[in-house]
Amino acid sequence: MKHNEYKQLLQLSLFGELKSEEQVKLKEHLLICEECRTELEDQKNLLELISGKKKAAVDEEVLSAARYQLRGALRSERSNQNIFNSVADSIFQFFPSPLKFAFAGAAILIIGVLIGGILFNQSSQNEFIGQQNGDNRFASLSEDISISEVRFIDSDASDGEVEFTFQASRPVHLKGNVNDSQIQSVLTYAMLNEQNPGSRLNSINAMDTETPTQYDSDVKNALITVIMTDENPGVRREALKLMNKFPYDEAMKQTLLYVITNDTVSGLRIEALIGLKD
Amino acid sequence: MQLNDTDLIIQAQKGNQNAFEELVYRYDRNVLSIALKYSNNEDDAKDLYQEVFIRVYRGIKNFRFQSEFSTWLFRITTNVCLTYKSRSKEHLKVSIDKDFDDEEHEFNTTKELVYDGSTPEEISSGANLGEIVNAAVESLSPKQRMTFVLKHYEGYKIREIAEMLNCKEGTVKKYLFDATKNLRKKLSPVYA
Ligand SMILES: [Zn+2]
Repeated sequence: MKHNEYKQLLQLSLFGELKSEEQVKLKEHLLICEECRTELEDQKNLLELISGKKKAAVDEEVLSAARYQLRGALRSERSNQNIFNSVADSIFQFFPSPLKFAFAGAAILIIGVLIGGILFNQSSQNEFIGQQNGDNRFASLSEDISISEVRFIDSDASDGEVEFTFQASRPVHLKGNVNDSQIQSVLTYAMLNEQNPGSRLNSINAMDTETPTQYDSDVKNALITVIMTDENPGVRREALKLMNKFPYDEAMKQTLLYVITNDTVSGLRIEALIGLKD
Repeated sequence: MQLNDTDLIIQAQKGNQNAFEELVYRYDRNVLSIALKYSNNEDDAKDLYQEVFIRVYRGIKNFRFQSEFSTWLFRITTNVCLTYKSRSKEHLKVSIDKDFDDEEHEFNTTKELVYDGSTPEEISSGANLGEIVNAAVESLSPKQRMTFVLKHYEGYKIREIAEMLNCKEGTVKKYLFDATKNLRKKLSPVYA
């Protein structure tokens, strides 16, 4: 065995990764090789220097902070899913049937295309799988639909079939009472997902009536998510104001405490403090 | 009676939140520990932790029991860590040599180590030894750093690390040897 290989064995032995026969070999070599003994010492010193944080257990406070943050993120994940489903349900009825898939920014479509045309079938939740069956429905993609982010799953057309996903969006005009649950789910979706902070703000303000008690609990959950995660302080403030109009409960209290300890904006921390009741 | 992982996963796949949380709490200490030691920063570690479990949450419906849950989880963990871009790149600016040359070594060039003006006496006095060690570990390439953290700080076997990183044991050894070589180069003025 070469000298260099012993040097690797040295290291593995310090990591506790040597088989017993390798251990024996190394021991024998160390007896006769000064250089490897020095090397061993050197590596030991290095590992000792570095092992400062080796035994440090995870700080319980950091762990519970991480868990708390995760619960918020999971809540947001779930309410996004619920809201998505109800928004999908409420919006779909505004479309003529082959266009049920199409609305702004949310749906990812998986479409199989055969030579000849496309047919869209609506399938579960946020995946829409369509398969061609001879009917030419391409014309149905009318002009007000914009298509973006086309990504190919299978671009090899040698078998006559390709597969790709794309985003299809179409402007939708909605008008109705803010107590209407469909209107609410769209607004709730917007406050969580709209890129533009002004639109998120408007969505929250639109729901700011004197009787938020009639709102669905999804609305409150979404507000809590916004308060804890929105990067725009103005949006967080409006969400906080609206949330404070809901009947006080434990989730609200936890949210206010979160703001008091974590929000970077002092005005918001003060507002949260005022909202806090024992 | 305590449920085993498999039962919890099946419950979680059906949408049972409590089962999912219990599953999380069985392993999250390990995940956070890896994230902390890999990132050297509590805020980054909390972000990494969150990202890992959001991915687990999204992916658990498709978990098919082809590996141990823990293997799958740690694979996600290492993946998230390796692709993560720190929010707080600026938190560590210390080095022991102001003009290190990395011609033959695979240093992580995105992380610039800046000499902070410490004299050799200050360095060897141990005043900021911890920071120096951290900076040296951070200067490793992401994969060298990850294998080093998993092996040296977390005590996983090379075989387990290979599983997590989805590579051969020989590759893990190579990363470890390179990591040690680079650390020695950076740290020998401190301990030799
Ligand atoms: Zn030798």
